[in-house]
Amino acid sequence: MNSVDASEHYDLGTTDLAPSLLTIVFDTNPHAWAALNQSLPLSNAVANLLVFINAHLACNYANEVAVVASHSQKAAWLYPSQHETPSTTTADRDGDVAMNGSAPAQTNKYRPFRIVEEQVTKNLKDLMDSTSSGDLRGNTSTMLAGALTLALSHINRRTIAWAEEHGGADLEDAAAEGGGSGGGTGSGAGRHSAANEDERLQSRILIVSVSGSSDSAHQYIPVMNGIFACQRLQIPIDVCKISGDAVFLQQACDATKGVYMALSEPRGLLQYLMMAFLPDQRSRRHLVLPTRVDVDFRAACFCHRRVVDVGYVCSICLSIFCEPPPNNECLTCGTSLDIGDFGGKPALIPRKRKKKKRVNGTSAAGTPMSTPTPGP
Amino acid sequence: MADSDEEYVGDVTEDEDDLQVSRNDRTRSGKRKQRGAAEWELSRTWETLVEGADGTISSTVEGLLEAGKRKRLLKDTTPLQRGIIRHLILILDLSQSMSEKDLRPTRYLLSLRYAQEFVREFFEQNPISQLGVLGLRDGLAFRVSDMSGNPTEHITSIQNLRPQDPKGLPSLQNGLEMARGALFHTPSHGTREVLVIFGSLLSSDPGDIHQTINTLVTDKVRVRIVGLAAQVAICRELCTRTNGGDETAYGVALNEQHFRELMMEVTTPPAAYSEKRTASSLLMMGFPSRTVEADPSLCACHSKPSRGGYLCSRCGSKVCSLPAECPSCGLTLILSTHLARSYHHLFPLINWVEVPWNRASISSACFACGLHFPPVPPEDQWHTAENHAKGMSASSRYECTACGNHFCIDCDLFAHEVVHNCPGCQSKSMRVPGNAAITSDGMDTTA
Repeated sequence: MNSVDASEHYDLGTTDLAPSLLTIVFDTNPHAWAALNQSLPLSNAVANLLVFINAHLACNYANEVAVVASHSQKAAWLYPSQHETPSTTTADRDGDVAMNGSAPAQTNKYRPFRIVEEQVTKNLKDLMDSTSSGDLRGNTSTMLAGALTLALSHINRRTIAWAEEHGGADLEDAAAEGGGSGGGTGSGAGRHSAANEDERLQSRILIVSVSGSSDSAHQYIPVMNGIFACQRLQIPIDVCKISGDAVFLQQACDATKGVYMALSEPRGLLQYLMMAFLPDQRSRRHLVLPTRVDVDFRAACFCHRRVVDVGYVCSICLSIFCEPPPNNECLTCGTSLDIGDFGGKPALIPRKRKKKKRVNGTSAAGTPMSTPTPGP
Repeated sequence: MADSDEEYVGDVTEDEDDLQVSRNDRTRSGKRKQRGAAEWELSRTWETLVEGADGTISSTVEGLLEAGKRKRLLKDTTPLQRGIIRHLILILDLSQSMSEKDLRPTRYLLSLRYAQEFVREFFEQNPISQLGVLGLRDGLAFRVSDMSGNPTEHITSIQNLRPQDPKGLPSLQNGLEMARGALFHTPSHGTREVLVIFGSLLSSDPGDIHQTINTLVTDKVRVRIVGLAAQVAICRELCTRTNGGDETAYGVALNEQHFRELMMEVTTPPAAYSEKRTASSLLMMGFPSRTVEADPSLCACHSKPSRGGYLCSRCGSKVCSLPAECPSCGLTLILSTHLARSYHHLFPLINWVEVPWNRASISSACFACGLHFPPVPPEDQWHTAENHAKGMSASSRYECTACGNHFCIDCDLFAHEVVHNCPGCQSKSMRVPGNAAITSDGMDTTA
């Protein structure tokens, strides 16, 4: 930027650090937020989140953000709006005059901040309005797997688009890495392996979670699929746990080397976000991160969606069952299984009887030990 | 530029064919018979180019690119026994003989590339197994990556070898001794295997390799070798002796594809290794959680003091690493994440179908990423786009038949190859279809 040399233009791609894309999966489960209302109302949480997003956008002019809501009956985009272009809808409804008139205080706001704020609040409001009481009845879970998949699709799209803008080499790389056997561009994958760490669009996912995980046990497989995709693409999943327990999210952080924090004081949400979750991957190399040493590695069984720590595993397909399946047939692959002698008593080593004394005794009776006799 | 594009397509085609052949014979009778394994080197990619109506080939090239993206592996649902814990050390020859160019681009680059694919495939097939990588260079053996169950680590460290150059002479003995050391502590219920990629015709050893072979036989380490040059007597002896007289463990690659086949053969879980339990059984397994204590305590497996560890879910004894068998109650302890790695084979994502123009108007953008689709043209132009490559949707839309949402080609590819989730199905409140997902492979109109 400072130099007026024309050659600067060519170096820009390599010297410029890649911006980072922060994708926030925001758990908007109404049941959990209702329970939290005393300490942290949803409106405060959204306000805190917006400040955090602004901080992220302020770090680098090219930083990007995306917000997905993981609601109780569906997962939806909060920012960017996916289906209708936001500018046209507001223009249709409000027009220029209305925009100026409605928000005079907003005119001095940095434009990216304002766009994010408007869209997030509007879409969140729409989402809440579209939630009927019927949706909430008997449904206390959250669509975490869907939100994670949407977030990953967006990251994939942005990574491809960014790589296309900044030279196609990285695209090949990403394809080879992501596609596995599909994108067999072997030489392309290796050439940039050393450099791509800094050149690629840096993506990370932050999950702001309030729901308990026992409700989402039926999403075990899709969630794990999402986690493995992140692991493969080297996208860290950070988890900011405001309430509830999160079995699978702990595994997500552990597998993708993300930050896991369970808030002891939900009112300090903004503080936690700013301190622990703002640094991107490059900065994190120089920081001592809040590490989680205890990780809950329990799995969900396939038959009753229970979270188990001891299960029966089909040796063919590795499905997990919480009890031996009916007819001893694997519910997934249909193989008839031999049930081992489980539930039997563990093999205990019989305690050795101490025969030493008797042996000593008999030997003492038979051949008495020679006692040292004092020499003359 | 056009040249490299074509090469890229050809490349993908070969790979896909190879994988399919090695995985499943059933796919040989598939629709792509004309590009079967025998003809792979005679595929003339330029002949498939047809001039479009406007006199350029750009549309065909784009079509080929997209069709190439769209082609994907048939889902592998053959019941393989994945519940076998294997311990395998992959030894890569990184000596000067690997810079030969008889395998393209060089033996070195090709074997590194295949090694990465091997790692990925190995963990797909053997999710609860462990792998380590060693390299042979300058008469020394060095550790490329430690024994672990995380494929990403191995692949990154193999990738880091790329800028380096192969040099010096290899020492088979040093490599085997180091592999033996790495496998020495592995529990007895798993297998101990070594796979050597050996490009040289000699081994410069510090001692008597026959003694090393004897110790390998005693330690029940099985060695398999893929040679790249010619058959070497000591390799043959090594494989024969460590495999109980079986000579098939030593193979010499004839060409690139054969090399790949020989390597990928090893990823298939060995069938005959489990002698005690029958082919299919229900195993009781524990999924212990990791704990860290304030004060060090002795672990049950090595009696070494440590603070971190995994507590057996049944009896509470502490073991240092997973997978393991609980030393006190005998329960198999594994990480549930290892098991979960293979679940996308069990519940594969159904293939999405192409959307013809007459149904394309219901969507304007990709459901997952928001990419805008090309607008629907007037009805009289619909059929002109029909001569596109097979497997490609004329309207650039792909539909998940379960949720009815439309997706772009990149999201289709990403969903099927990386995430294995449908963004549409997961975003709506409907339960995972479970068993129904297995049989719904019938919509494979594209492969």
